[in-house]
Amino acid sequence: MDGIYLLQLLLNGLVIGVIYALIAMGLSLIFGLLGIVNFAHGEFYMLGAMLSFFAVTDLHFSYWTTILSVTLVASAAGLLFYHLFLSSLRQGDFERSILLTLGISMVLQNGGIFLWTVTPRIVPTPYSYAAVTFGELQIPVLRLFTLCIATAAFLALYVLLNRTLIGKAMRGLSHSRHAAAMVGIDHRRVARLAVMIGIALSGLAGATLAPVYSVQPTMGSAFVFKAFAIVIIGGLGNILGAALAAILLGIVESLIGGFLPLTLADAAGFVGMILVLLFKPEGLFGRGVRV
Amino acid sequence: MKRLMMAAVASALLAATAMAQPSPIRIGSTLPLTGNLAFFGQHSRWGTELAVAEANALGGVLGRQVEVDYQDNQCNPAVGVSSVTRMLSDKTEVALLDGVCSSVILAIMPVVQRAGVPLVVANGSATAIADASGVGGNKWTFKVNPSDASLVEALVGWLQQNGNADGIGFLGEDTDFGRAGMQAFEQALGRRGLKLASVDYYQQGTADFTTVLTKVRRANPKSLALYSVGADFQNLIRQYFGMGLTIPLTGRLLTDQIPPEILASGRLNGATAVQPYTAEIDLPANHAFIAAFQKMHGAPPNLLSYEAYETTRVLLDAISRSGIAQPGAIRDALQTTKLHSILGAEIEFDDHNLAHNNAVIVMVRDGKVQVVGLSKT
Amino acid sequence: MTAFRAPALGILAWLALLGVPLLTGSEYLLDTGIAIATFAVLSTGLNLIYGYTGLLSFAQVAFFGLGGYCAALLVTRLDFSFWLALPAGAVVATLAGLLIGYSSLRLSRHAFAIVSLSFALLCGIVSRDWVSLTRGSMGIPGLSLPGFDDPAQMYRLMVTAAAILLAAFYVLLSSRLGRALRAIKLNEPLAQSQGIDPLRYKLLAIGVSAAASGVMGALFVFHLSIVDPSVFDFYYTETMLIMVILGGAGSFWGVIGASVVFSIVPDLLRFSSDLRLMLYGVVLVAAMLLFPAGFGGLLQQRRLARWSTQR
Repeated sequence: MDGIYLLQLLLNGLVIGVIYALIAMGLSLIFGLLGIVNFAHGEFYMLGAMLSFFAVTDLHFSYWTTILSVTLVASAAGLLFYHLFLSSLRQGDFERSILLTLGISMVLQNGGIFLWTVTPRIVPTPYSYAAVTFGELQIPVLRLFTLCIATAAFLALYVLLNRTLIGKAMRGLSHSRHAAAMVGIDHRRVARLAVMIGIALSGLAGATLAPVYSVQPTMGSAFVFKAFAIVIIGGLGNILGAALAAILLGIVESLIGGFLPLTLADAAGFVGMILVLLFKPEGLFGRGVRV
Repeated sequence: MKRLMMAAVASALLAATAMAQPSPIRIGSTLPLTGNLAFFGQHSRWGTELAVAEANALGGVLGRQVEVDYQDNQCNPAVGVSSVTRMLSDKTEVALLDGVCSSVILAIMPVVQRAGVPLVVANGSATAIADASGVGGNKWTFKVNPSDASLVEALVGWLQQNGNADGIGFLGEDTDFGRAGMQAFEQALGRRGLKLASVDYYQQGTADFTTVLTKVRRANPKSLALYSVGADFQNLIRQYFGMGLTIPLTGRLLTDQIPPEILASGRLNGATAVQPYTAEIDLPANHAFIAAFQKMHGAPPNLLSYEAYETTRVLLDAISRSGIAQPGAIRDALQTTKLHSILGAEIEFDDHNLAHNNAVIVMVRDGKVQVVGLSKT
Repeated sequence: MTAFRAPALGILAWLALLGVPLLTGSEYLLDTGIAIATFAVLSTGLNLIYGYTGLLSFAQVAFFGLGGYCAALLVTRLDFSFWLALPAGAVVATLAGLLIGYSSLRLSRHAFAIVSLSFALLCGIVSRDWVSLTRGSMGIPGLSLPGFDDPAQMYRLMVTAAAILLAAFYVLLSSRLGRALRAIKLNEPLAQSQGIDPLRYKLLAIGVSAAASGVMGALFVFHLSIVDPSVFDFYYTETMLIMVILGGAGSFWGVIGASVVFSIVPDLLRFSSDLRLMLYGVVLVAAMLLFPAGFGGLLQQRRLARWSTQR
């Protein structure tokens, strides 16, 4: 057994997993606090990437400026998203929320195809082809940045949820809307913030990954369905669980792909999700809101 | 009185011109105009448009202008079948062009057979198409672009002459295109007592090739044959470059899709590719084609535009030789085609209605793509 | 008289549809007829699960494709006759439906929604990746039904199948079973207290719906003469949802009407597919925000209003 090969696969898996985590965390946050499965989540990721493309090629923003500005725009988009669409949904409107966000996703994705066509676009950066090597292991610079940015985002979220008052309100709301209302938490304010953060994370993922992958309007769907699987495996509403499940999935996919036909790796997420739902419905890491 | 006479003469002339204006010849074309392969469909359409415009500028075919009806098939057999059925239902189209996607072409082959309308394939790559055409099969389907088997045979023959046919690894998309490529390599190598060093497939739409490239790096073949197109190919080549891989590339490498900075870096020097066409072919007919295409569409032609252009030329030539622009006569004329392609070979159909045009082998030298061989397929 | 009106009209309509090929040789019209027949059955199946029973399901397209692939494989690999492969495909689809239904409904209807979605995606992945079985993206071509090579015959076969299946749905929904399903949707605990076992009835709805989709799937792929992974495309799900929502979830004739309209209109308008899907998205959003009960619901409201003013 080639040790270096295994380590490289693990490292690759970690990086891929962290990418999944960025997208899954936002989804988990929105479900945890609003009970809404956001089908349009992948489209915000795509919009973040497209926006980065235009920021870099038309406005000549630098790599870091782009990421910052796109994240800010994404949080504003989240605010709009909440007020226009999500605020009218009530607690039990599960099916309606799915259909509503599905409709939004269809509009955004096909609107994107209509406006920009499916021609893939490359976002140039000065770091695009550089790689960092640790002995015999290697990691491309852009992915290293992604790893750092995602970790920073996750830490920020952790601090927000556990060390701030509004974070406490969020955790309370995710446990029980009624109890939260009873202690005077304005669920609309908290939900709105959750949506803003969730969408901002999605946009951040898009901006970070735009230089890594080719950018085109359909890039969101592949990730969003995997993100659903991850969120369920981690436990719906359990944000830490989602992050851990994401990393786990990334590593599992990488290991499978490294030794077996690549195509089996694709199914890993869905099979895992179905297994979790059958045998441990509150999620691998528990503490999740039972679906 | 004079004014009345002039009016009479004028209206008679008008009537005469109206009667003398013959109706246009209508051809149908089914393409993926939307969806993932829209880029390919667009170029295929552009190629056809150029060929038709050139013919019409010379007075049309059989004295009639040619019109093409382009319909979207979204690379989906169900959509393809229903749109082609609709197109053929009013019985005005005398022939049909391609579909780009092999699965669509395979699905519409029975439809054109039932309707008795010739289908001329320009871009679809599945070997099954020609296998099911001509003698003992669908007599209405003709394939102008060469089969992958013959393209790869040409490449492997050239590689062997230069001592590089050993230890080739394969990485391709998991579609009929990729699978046909793998089989073509196995056959061509097998004929020379060689084998593929490794075989890997990826799903269309894969964004992240890290895992498979890590696997390839570990297997360390002497060269890597790629069968990849579109956004997947761009992602693949960029990640290949970003991971610092130096395994020489070959196969159906799309040299015109490689980002210029990667080409210019020189890391791909020594890469070879076989295609039915590249813009670098140094023949006057090709230069003329590229110039005309650029002028009409404001962009350089690619493989698909060329294939569609050449195929449309073949079809228009057959219509002209048929004398009456009726589907049955056109089909018979197609069978006796002997047209000089702009790549220098004669386009003729064998008994499976398959043509054998030249294939071109290119190599990357000093950061530039150069033609190193032209061979009959 | 009213009891016989619907079936009598139905039979007349069926006979009339059968006669269409005599009036026109247009293969295009027959093609459209086949599309309508297929979508009518698929949407009504979804209506049964979502409209009447209240379970959002994305698995309809999975049952459709499973029926198709099953029949195709049995005929091409094991030399089955199509007439055996067709029910076999339906059986496989039904079993799949019962499996995912039973495993996830024990948890909640939310789990069922998500599992049904994942199941549909998984079917797409397996059909693309398990190349040794399904030939992957290359699909299984050459599916022909001896005796039905003529498009008119295939059209008649599919219209008849659709008529039978829709009649079965109608009978089911007008019976006690239909009322039980509606009771479950309106208030499950109450229904339970009346002695209705929700799980059994939900599984029944899913099973029947899956079987019908499987049958249409097998017929459809033989009509196309090829089955490939695109049979699992999300596009079918999106279209079905539009038909059910606009037709009115829970309205039998509304959904059938919407199926007819939405099978014809997109072709007429010749919109590019992205514009069409965008429009569907807008419709979906508008419907969710403005009329949750759909067109059928509006009609019902108006009927109620008229009834109440007539008194």
